[in-house]
Amino acid sequence: MTWTEKYRPKFFDEIKGQKEAITKIKKFLENFEKGKKALLLHSSPGTGKTTLAYVLASEKNLEIFELNASDFRNREKIKEVLKPAIEQKSLRKKGKIILIDEVDGISKIEEGGLMELLNLIDYSSYPIIMTANNIWDRKLSSLRKKSEIVKLKELNYNEIKNVLTNILRKEKRFIEDDILTIIAVKAKGDLRAAINDLQSISNLDDVSFVKFDERNKETDIFNSLRQVFKGKPSEDFLQIFDSVNMPLDDIILWVEENIPKEYRGEELAKAYDLLSKVDVFKGRIHKQQYWRFFVYMNIFLSYGISASKNLEKIREGFTSYKKPSRILKIWLNNKKIEKKKSIAQKYAKYVHVGEKRALKEFPIIKQIIKSNPRIQSELKLDEQEIEYLNGE
Amino acid sequence: MINGSGIWTEKYRPSKFSEIVGQDDVVKRAEALTNSLNIPHMLFAGPAGTGKSTLALIIVEELFKENWRQNYLELNASDERGINIIREKVKNFARTMSLGRVPFKVIFLDEADALTPEAQQALRRTMENFSATCRFILSCNYSSKIIDPIQSRCALFRFKLLEKKDIEKIVQRIAEAEKLTISSEAIEVLYEGSEGDCRRCINILQSIASISPLITPELVSTIIANVKPKDIRVVLDYALSGDFERAREKLLDIMLKESLSGQDVIKAIQKEVWNLPVEPGIKVKLTEKTGEAEFRIVEGSDPFIQLQALLASFVLAGLGRG
Repeated sequence: MTWTEKYRPKFFDEIKGQKEAITKIKKFLENFEKGKKALLLHSSPGTGKTTLAYVLASEKNLEIFELNASDFRNREKIKEVLKPAIEQKSLRKKGKIILIDEVDGISKIEEGGLMELLNLIDYSSYPIIMTANNIWDRKLSSLRKKSEIVKLKELNYNEIKNVLTNILRKEKRFIEDDILTIIAVKAKGDLRAAINDLQSISNLDDVSFVKFDERNKETDIFNSLRQVFKGKPSEDFLQIFDSVNMPLDDIILWVEENIPKEYRGEELAKAYDLLSKVDVFKGRIHKQQYWRFFVYMNIFLSYGISASKNLEKIREGFTSYKKPSRILKIWLNNKKIEKKKSIAQKYAKYVHVGEKRALKEFPIIKQIIKSNPRIQSELKLDEQEIEYLNGE
Repeated sequence: MINGSGIWTEKYRPSKFSEIVGQDDVVKRAEALTNSLNIPHMLFAGPAGTGKSTLALIIVEELFKENWRQNYLELNASDERGINIIREKVKNFARTMSLGRVPFKVIFLDEADALTPEAQQALRRTMENFSATCRFILSCNYSSKIIDPIQSRCALFRFKLLEKKDIEKIVQRIAEAEKLTISSEAIEVLYEGSEGDCRRCINILQSIASISPLITPELVSTIIANVKPKDIRVVLDYALSGDFERAREKLLDIMLKESLSGQDVIKAIQKEVWNLPVEPGIKVKLTEKTGEAEFRIVEGSDPFIQLQALLASFVLAGLGRG
């Protein structure tokens, strides 16, 4: 279980730093009746919008009916989905709230969906709560008029650090204070990101090398990935990675890491086939210095990956994308096999063979060297190298 | 031929022309050239573990006698970072005159076919610039991977894959000296497992001998099986069962742990396809995909991406939609 799930607050008094917002939300709920405004929660990612809605529901004993932006893809669909939710109050005691997560994800193409949402606000017998990162887009202006807007406070690094310290205490782990500070500062108010970072390093022995990417970059890449993977392929996608402040090589790694989180079977094979072609063109650019091939890399990586999915059944809902893990793994492994490499190097030189070949045959060679101290001194192995041989 | 090393590939490395096994023609020509005290550039082509480095060593020892170390530079093209480093080392080495009775030094460049054609062009220039003071011995697995201008400047020596009787002779000799008991079945397994590579064969023999002086076919098979990337099968099984993420995680683990290159993995996959529980038609399809992946590894820049694409097509085959 991820720590962000495990430690998601369940009661109002567990939510840090959002007193004002909580008061407003409670008031909104008390005063709600059919025809009134909806509630629009906004703030940067990872500050607790969705959590707040869920806590509200559980404290007030309400059922949550959750929708997200992609449900508004077409009118017919949204009607069908919402019918049971808005038609009549259920006879059972439990009331409902309708939660529309990430409402700013409704794109221009789906304006019909937006109209439908505005209608819904007028007719719903249940309170509607929406969340958004950015509400100031022009396309949302009519929605803003029909909403009571509540902004969540950005968390400062001390508040984030306190949460991290609490989690570590419950997990019975220890991480040095200045590393917690680094995580908290770099998170730039994104508590979820901070908790994810914390969990990702919690199992490493040595975390002194950890340098966190500025979280800013990542919100951009998360949004771009979401659009590519979940959106209808559009020519706009050709520029989608331009706004991500990251070299294309890194973006390739992000796509590589996250394809299987979104695609299955045929989609998976198609997407990786295109990614493989991206890499082939990259190789050709390196070898021939023919930079126009870049165009193809870009098209395959954005539009191509997007068009690999089965457009009939796009997977909706929230996907949490992972940071590429391969480079870190390779780095850690290189640390681990440093000794192996230095032994292979000495051996290779001594017996007139290539280092790569010695590495490849290492299991056999290791057995020979390990069992014979005389060979160890012949090769002038140092103590750590001998320790490595015996330790494995 | 016995020197003091504890490593058998060194201890039993031939130190005279007459001791080299299975390469009669090559040795005869090399010996004649060496005796004339003037060798041309040479190109040694042949499989691994057939005696290329050994012959080069014998030649320089014969030419320079006790001074051979000062007059001999050994480089490995696949280990050096690029042709510029190689040129730099050659330049430094060739700057001083040769000591001893012949007026040149010798540079042995192992695995020369690891150089790209462009790098080989640069190498050719270097060979020309220093031909007054240096002789080059290049070694490669396939002479066809060496560009023509270099081939035409070298005397070509083709090394043959060692036959079973050659390996048998060598193994028997070592077994006697080291007081090992080895049956002819065990030699048979050893020969099959080492694919005619004498170095590998001796290494396997020594690593078994470090456990037991009685070399049985079973022991040989166990040691050989240990070095094959057997876990590749596990990776393919995950993929065929549809668990892509597990498959790629396992693959990365194996590659890192065993220091395998993308090509090593492709080779193992290509062999393993035959053992998979799938229809003959699918086997052909998967082999085709594997070939395409290998092609793209050569063309592309990141082998792991190509391998993931291949695993994704195995996933598809597992769903019956290959």
